[in-house]
Amino acid sequence: MTAPAGAAHGPDAAHAEHHHEPSFLRKYVFSTDHKVIAIQFLFYSLFFLLVGGALAMLIRWQLGFPGQPLPGAGVLGDEAAPGGVIAPKFYLSLVTMHATYMIFFAVMPLLVGTFANYLIPLKIGAPDMAFPRLNMWSFWLMIPAGVLALAGLVVEGGSAAAGWTAYAPLANTPDYTGVTTGQILWCLSIAVFAASSLLGSVNYITTIINLRAPGMVWFRLPLSVWALFITAILAILAVPILAGAVIMLLFDQILHTHFYLPAVGGQPLLWQHLFWFFGHPEVYILILPAMGIVSEIIANGSRKPIFGYHTMVYAIIGIAFLGWMVWGHHMFQSGMNPILGTSFMVSTVLIAVPTAIKVFNWMGTMWRGRLWLHTPMLNAIAFVAMFVIGGLSGIFMASTPVDMYIHDTYFIVAHIHYVLFGGSLFAIFAGIYFWFPKMFGRMMNERLGKLHFWTTFVAYNATFFPMHLLGIAGHMRRIYDPNAYRFLQPLQPLNTFISVSAFVLFAAQLPFIVNFFWSMFRGRPAGMNPWRDNGLEWTVPSPPPHGNFAATPKVLHGPYEFSHPDTGEDFLPQDQPLPTRPGA
Amino acid sequence: MGADARPQLRMTHGRQVEYGLGVYSGKLGMWVFLCSEVMFFTALIGAYIILRWGSSQSWPDPTKVLNITLTAFNTFLLICSSVSMVKAYAAISHGDQRGLRLWLLATVAGGAAFVGVQVYEYLHLIHDGVLPSGFREGGEIMEALTRAGLPTGGHELFGAAFFTMTGFHGFHVSCGVLCMIWVTIKAFRGHYTQAHHEGIEVIGLYWHFVDLVWIILFTIVYLF
Amino acid sequence: MTTVEKKHPPYMLVWLWLAVLTIIEVWAAQAGLTRRILIPILILLAIWKASLVAIYFMHLKFEPRRFLFVVLAPLPLAVILVVAVLQEWGK
Repeated sequence: MTAPAGAAHGPDAAHAEHHHEPSFLRKYVFSTDHKVIAIQFLFYSLFFLLVGGALAMLIRWQLGFPGQPLPGAGVLGDEAAPGGVIAPKFYLSLVTMHATYMIFFAVMPLLVGTFANYLIPLKIGAPDMAFPRLNMWSFWLMIPAGVLALAGLVVEGGSAAAGWTAYAPLANTPDYTGVTTGQILWCLSIAVFAASSLLGSVNYITTIINLRAPGMVWFRLPLSVWALFITAILAILAVPILAGAVIMLLFDQILHTHFYLPAVGGQPLLWQHLFWFFGHPEVYILILPAMGIVSEIIANGSRKPIFGYHTMVYAIIGIAFLGWMVWGHHMFQSGMNPILGTSFMVSTVLIAVPTAIKVFNWMGTMWRGRLWLHTPMLNAIAFVAMFVIGGLSGIFMASTPVDMYIHDTYFIVAHIHYVLFGGSLFAIFAGIYFWFPKMFGRMMNERLGKLHFWTTFVAYNATFFPMHLLGIAGHMRRIYDPNAYRFLQPLQPLNTFISVSAFVLFAAQLPFIVNFFWSMFRGRPAGMNPWRDNGLEWTVPSPPPHGNFAATPKVLHGPYEFSHPDTGEDFLPQDQPLPTRPGA
Repeated sequence: MGADARPQLRMTHGRQVEYGLGVYSGKLGMWVFLCSEVMFFTALIGAYIILRWGSSQSWPDPTKVLNITLTAFNTFLLICSSVSMVKAYAAISHGDQRGLRLWLLATVAGGAAFVGVQVYEYLHLIHDGVLPSGFREGGEIMEALTRAGLPTGGHELFGAAFFTMTGFHGFHVSCGVLCMIWVTIKAFRGHYTQAHHEGIEVIGLYWHFVDLVWIILFTIVYLF
Repeated sequence: MTTVEKKHPPYMLVWLWLAVLTIIEVWAAQAGLTRRILIPILILLAIWKASLVAIYFMHLKFEPRRFLFVVLAPLPLAVILVVAVLQEWGK
């Protein structure tokens, strides 16, 4: 095959770079190397995780100590916090932007930007993504998206304050919210985010289909790669719906269209349907990569093959497939057609089946395994337990009659946080602890890691479990002052308890931050395979060189050959041959 | 279509990889991107369908508001530029550099002309009081409809849907024209050969897609 | 119709068909047919034209079968979305 004349293909350009060392800017800032881009996403998302968490602290201050001045809140200004007391309108901005930052600018870039970028080429035996320059653009688009999202906090009228779900006509009527520029900025930031997400997904899908090393057939792919692949497909098909919906919301505000404004025939329900048609696949985008990461770590920590690998793959596909047909369960109270509602109830209850299969398979993997309870494993096990709780509360909500009572209460907030924090975030922590050595060539400190894990785990449950009780008692979500309702006044002590637990939870992240930065420079050198794992990424140096593999690996078996009876070690990387038994 | 004996491996950039779907990365990536574009236009066109047939509102007759003849010609223009695109591709598959360049220029011209006609159409409509917010009271179109005793109910949604759908389509065509200009420049520099002209096929896919969306839009916006 | 040589479909023939179908469409829209007949005809013509572009210009006729799954994936979703939401207004 003759080399193309004058073509600037990725790998060819990279070879040219090897001849002269690229500048600092090219190597670390405007890099097309998937590993660098992944780490850029990592820093970006951790920053937004911190910002989102800080906003949560302000929310919890108001709920735990209502009407009390927060020490130091003077910096927020008189409009947001006159006399240090959080104002009602600012409170609504807080709940809106907390969710927006966490979902779009922290969890998604972590799971999909960081882990997809870092792991996919390494785990399939490829030198980089299919479109390295597009990959770079995918990251850099997040910068204007993030700036637009943060800008809302400082503009006149404040940031968007209609909830992250931005229901019309609240969101597109400044007369109701008092917010003008902020909501427009929100729409724009989501639109730019959508573009970034799409570029990334195109890359992940093409790379996984087209760049697998010889022998890496579909059913030898690690579950994290399967999960990221299916997630990218969900994103490709769902995110554009959000983009379209948000653009129409934007036009309602700046071009005086009436897509969602009922006065002249617009339909608020249209917004809800479009948003949730995106929104439900979105929550699977937020959980599937986490499940993939957890599968890798549980197999590793159990020193056993994943129980039911094929079933796990089919379960991922099943969850993704069914996930398209359940969106109405977010709208049971919207006044939508009840027959339509019933169909959504049925499909939602069904989706528990593949999810439960995965849970049983993780348990089956750990059963009788020689457990190695390293920090990533602790976080992964916590994921399974916490996600089960979150999933169980989901079964309650799936039933329309029950949801009539608990919709828009703290029961929902509890569910969200059990699946997103107890689920996605514990998996993210697991993934960071697990792959940090590969990314930076140094181990994170195990003691600090375990301290972080246990304090987080306890404080997290103390914060979010009581919210189930609040919800059953009728405590609504997004309200500024529950004490305005007599029936909620007895719940104030519980709210205060939750807030104090939340402050402890936030403080508990300090060991993680310290560990993260300290270990980057002073951690114990990791070596190639500190976790004795089977993935192809552990067969190259830590950190891997540009181009990843000196020679294209040849994959000889699946990724879960732990404790094979005929090998000396309790692990077997995918490019090592399976032992041949005499007489087999 | 003998795809029976699928090889297990193929070569890409000098490396062996698993066969995959048997479609090179550029083409696969573009198709995946086009799938997302289908969903994007589904949101916009779906909203239009739902708003128009879901509500009890009447809808202004598009044949009385819009210039069907002009747009029919514009549709034909875009289809022609799709043909010139495909002729460009056929040319370079046979190593015909001159054909490639000429047909690419024709495609750019067709696309640019389409956008030009659309801009002209927009300016005319806005002048006559057709806006994203609806028909302006006292504007030419509103007056004409009222005088003829034709229904004007739903005109706000008509304006919103019309400008959003055709506007985003026009935006996509404009981006396509810009990319096409860049590709044409590369073609004039001899960048594409008979052996390697993936870029032509890939941008061609985008171009045809934009034409395809217009075929749908023209029908449901202008003719229904 | 015409023989397909060297995997290149008869582009000019397709172009002719597209032109003819467009003319029929425009005529039908302005011929004063009742909407009950007009709408299905227009939808059919639009789908026909779109399919011609996809199959011949976009080369789908000559791609591996498995690849079609990728391409057609969004379509059922688009249908589900629009049909489901239309139920809201119980037609």
